[in-house]
Amino acid sequence: MNTKRRSVIKLAGSAAAVASTGMAGILASGRTPAFAQQKTVHWLKWVDFVPATDQMFSKEMMPAAEKALGIKIKLETVNGNDLQPRITSAIQSGAGPDLIMSFNSYTHLYSNSVVDLSDLAEDVGKREGGLYKYARAICSDGKMFMGMPWAVIGGMIAYRKSWLAEVGATSFPDTWETYREVAKKMKAKGRPFGQTLGHTFGDAPGFTYPYLWSWGGKEVEADGKTVVLNTKATVDSVKFMTALWKEGMDEGGLAWDDTNNNRAFLSQTISATLNGASIYIESLRKPDQYKTEKGAPLNTDILHAPLPKGPAGQFGFHLLQSNMLMKYSKNQDAAKEFLKYLHTEANYRKFFESQKGFATPCTAKWESDKLWDVDPVMTPYKVAAKLGQAPGFAGPPNAKAQEGLSKYIITDMYAKAVQGMPAEDSVKWAESELKKIYSA
Amino acid sequence: MAVTAVSGVAEGRRPIPRLRKLEDERWLAMVLLFPTALLLGLFIAYPFFEGVVLSLTNQRVGVPGHFVGLDNFVKVWNDSIFRTTVWNTFWYTGITTVFKLALGLWLAMLLNRHFKGKALVRAFILLPFIIPTVLSTFAWKWMFDPTFSVINWTLFQLGFITQRINWLGDPDLAMTSIIVVNIWRGVPFFAISLLAGLQTISPELNEAAAIDGARPWNRFWYVTWPLLLPVTMVVMLFSVIQTFADFQLVYVMTGGGPANATHLFATYAYQLGIGTGLLSEGAAISLAMFPFLFLIVVVQLLYIRRVETR
Amino acid sequence: MIEGALWRKWVFYNIPLILFVFVLLFPFYWMIITTFRPDGELYRPWNASNYMPFWTNNPTFEHIQYLFEETNFARWMFNTMFIAVVSTIISLFCGVLAGYALARLNFPYAGSLGTVIFVTYLVPQTLLFIPLAQIIRNFELGDTPWSLILTYPTFLIPFCTWLMMGYFKAIPKELEECARIDGASRWKAMLYIVIPVAVPGILSSGIIAFTLSWNEFIYALVFLSSPDQKTVPVGVTSELIRGDVFFWGPLMAGALLGSIPVAIVYSFFVEHYVSGLTGSVKG
Repeated sequence: MNTKRRSVIKLAGSAAAVASTGMAGILASGRTPAFAQQKTVHWLKWVDFVPATDQMFSKEMMPAAEKALGIKIKLETVNGNDLQPRITSAIQSGAGPDLIMSFNSYTHLYSNSVVDLSDLAEDVGKREGGLYKYARAICSDGKMFMGMPWAVIGGMIAYRKSWLAEVGATSFPDTWETYREVAKKMKAKGRPFGQTLGHTFGDAPGFTYPYLWSWGGKEVEADGKTVVLNTKATVDSVKFMTALWKEGMDEGGLAWDDTNNNRAFLSQTISATLNGASIYIESLRKPDQYKTEKGAPLNTDILHAPLPKGPAGQFGFHLLQSNMLMKYSKNQDAAKEFLKYLHTEANYRKFFESQKGFATPCTAKWESDKLWDVDPVMTPYKVAAKLGQAPGFAGPPNAKAQEGLSKYIITDMYAKAVQGMPAEDSVKWAESELKKIYSA
Repeated sequence: MAVTAVSGVAEGRRPIPRLRKLEDERWLAMVLLFPTALLLGLFIAYPFFEGVVLSLTNQRVGVPGHFVGLDNFVKVWNDSIFRTTVWNTFWYTGITTVFKLALGLWLAMLLNRHFKGKALVRAFILLPFIIPTVLSTFAWKWMFDPTFSVINWTLFQLGFITQRINWLGDPDLAMTSIIVVNIWRGVPFFAISLLAGLQTISPELNEAAAIDGARPWNRFWYVTWPLLLPVTMVVMLFSVIQTFADFQLVYVMTGGGPANATHLFATYAYQLGIGTGLLSEGAAISLAMFPFLFLIVVVQLLYIRRVETR
Repeated sequence: MIEGALWRKWVFYNIPLILFVFVLLFPFYWMIITTFRPDGELYRPWNASNYMPFWTNNPTFEHIQYLFEETNFARWMFNTMFIAVVSTIISLFCGVLAGYALARLNFPYAGSLGTVIFVTYLVPQTLLFIPLAQIIRNFELGDTPWSLILTYPTFLIPFCTWLMMGYFKAIPKELEECARIDGASRWKAMLYIVIPVAVPGILSSGIIAFTLSWNEFIYALVFLSSPDQKTVPVGVTSELIRGDVFFWGPLMAGALLGSIPVAIVYSFFVEHYVSGLTGSVKG
């Protein structure tokens, strides 16, 4: 057999022939070779929408952490939409990053595959003036902390002050009716509002859920079991959205991911969009590249406002980020040390300041930090973590709520209607999908 | 192994050498086929079986679950997104195959002549098929970008459009876009294979028909096409399987959107199984491909056999 | 009437041909241009005036630089190459042996085994990836190149076998029988006579297997995790589509550079690739 293999290799003329005989042994044993091990902690997080933070992490904080803790750190960033598939693949193949950043209620979905982080969470909470209810509800199921709360990415509407002033809006519309009017006027001038209704983890749910709640619609009752999506309030909200879409929104939004609205706003094809603060921060970063049509830096023309009020009030769904320590990890102690290190005040402050208000911490003491006063354009973001409401309302933000979120049911409800399905039908569809989840 | 002087001539020998030959061949065949059997058994048959078992449980990522019989299949069948997916996949496969065949045939006929640089052209046009799908699809995605599309720019400059074409955002256009890219990728494969088929057809046949007064279309339909059929069928078989089970193209271009308008079996199984972590439901959707594939393959194989024995 | 014939030739043959070539190759040109355009020129909306998309006067290497500095692109190239080469070797090994056995040897169930191997080709990777992930985990191969090296042959071997069967069948039996009469064992005859004659077939199978291996995506996506284990298609997809910052430049650079190895290998063996492809289809 060996002769055969070698002559075939010769025939194929492959340069890997030399290596292959060594590999033959490995193949025969069926195991991967064991390399010399130094403790390595692999942290998987999303690609930060504020590039400065990832730069700070990889160039300063990781090397510092390596020195301080005596371990090697592998920092990996992936597109936010890819976090969930990565988590599943990692758990399924039993190997992967030790610490993985999770969004919203992923923590509940993977509760069987993570290590309890209650001690760290309570510790930090006590130190920093208390953990916000929002963060606690999402990261803990009452028995354990599935994830260590990291930060909340607030979502506000970024809009062009001067353009809205041209059509008579001196401040951003604060009801949906006035929002629709202004959007209509802006679209007539070729500068519509822009919102994604695609399958994105950030902007789409960040808009559709609070929109639904502001009309009085909700997914389940407080008992967490009874699905009550199909109400007049919901149907009205869908009808309004359909009209609003045609009259005032950039209809390309159906295909947008979380970066398209940024690009559209920065290349000045839309006048307002719900977003984290990344649009503003990017325009601050490159004032020469982003200029208004009058030649002024774009960042002087941007302001932020919360989502408008509906008949049932004003709401916001802000993305909560936490870090999960995976059970399959072979370096759990080192990973925990690393996590503790990240949450020391000095280090966390470095993160907080590099974000410039894009991320709001999950504990109370940062709300009064002077960073919020530096730039009044960013001040609205400081209460994101305090006021956030999570999917699954009015029930708890548990695994079922996350499943509904991961399947984009609410977003699709609006997307379908906007593409022509009658409002009643799309609501019925969404309700039956939710029922399947909540009755399982 | 001992040197056995076996040949049909030396018949007067004892039966033992012949027996040895028989054993020899069987034993040799087993040895030769062993590595293949091992790899295919371990990494195709075994996972297939496991997949079937998985689809009959309610396993989720991190949660082993238990046996639930055909529940997943029932759930999946009642899922409106699944029904959209089935329709999408058939539509996608059907349309692209028809166009790939037509355009590939046309291109093959264009290449079936002698002209300067023919070898070069032939080499270059296979590029879409050679280059990894993911990479070339990114180029297309950039070309279709909602805000920065070069195609829109060109059409705008030529005065054909005033409103932007929403290639990836409108559900029908998105389906059209993935169909276009699939056709772009597949035409070279069809063309080159059909060209080889065309080249085995002796030109005298066509000439004879022409002399007999047959017009070009009839010449094609009654002379060329039947001779081309075997090759065509095999090419179509390969292509249909690949297209039906396609994942990469849709994953990169649209991710299945907008609003599930371009989801295929594979992308939906991925979204449900790996994205949301509902492994058993994902497995059920993947397996749902199998009966359709099997049917398509059986039909085509039978057709091929019929054509070949004609 | 010579003029008429020329006119015909252009309308019916040359122009369509040119159109085909243009459409088939334009995306690659677009890839190249985007790779070398500076960011400022890259992001102009489709209806902006003063926009020259098809050429740039300020070519830049900044995207390629970014690619190599900020991502593990070089490592991905190495990984993909390594995996492709080793999988191809394994598949050729299995395929040549199996092809020979099925084409030349008489043994019971030869026909049905051939069909079985063919049928496995029809079980697409997208059907198996979920349960296979679990099997990979049980073998502790997750996040290593071996998870791919051992699974890629599943779709490469059937193809190689089929192709080699065709080549072996075309080799006259007399060749082998001469060797056997001269005293060689069946085994040696296969090794020293038949296989060397089938080298073109082996080359063809090898090339096709190599390109198919580069093209695989879903197994690599699901089984690999760490940035330094990824293959080029997975790396480009996951690490170059980022947050809110524009990365189309490096993305096209990655696509371009990722395509080059395959294109180069292909260009050396075009004839073999084509004959292999058409051989598999005719056989």
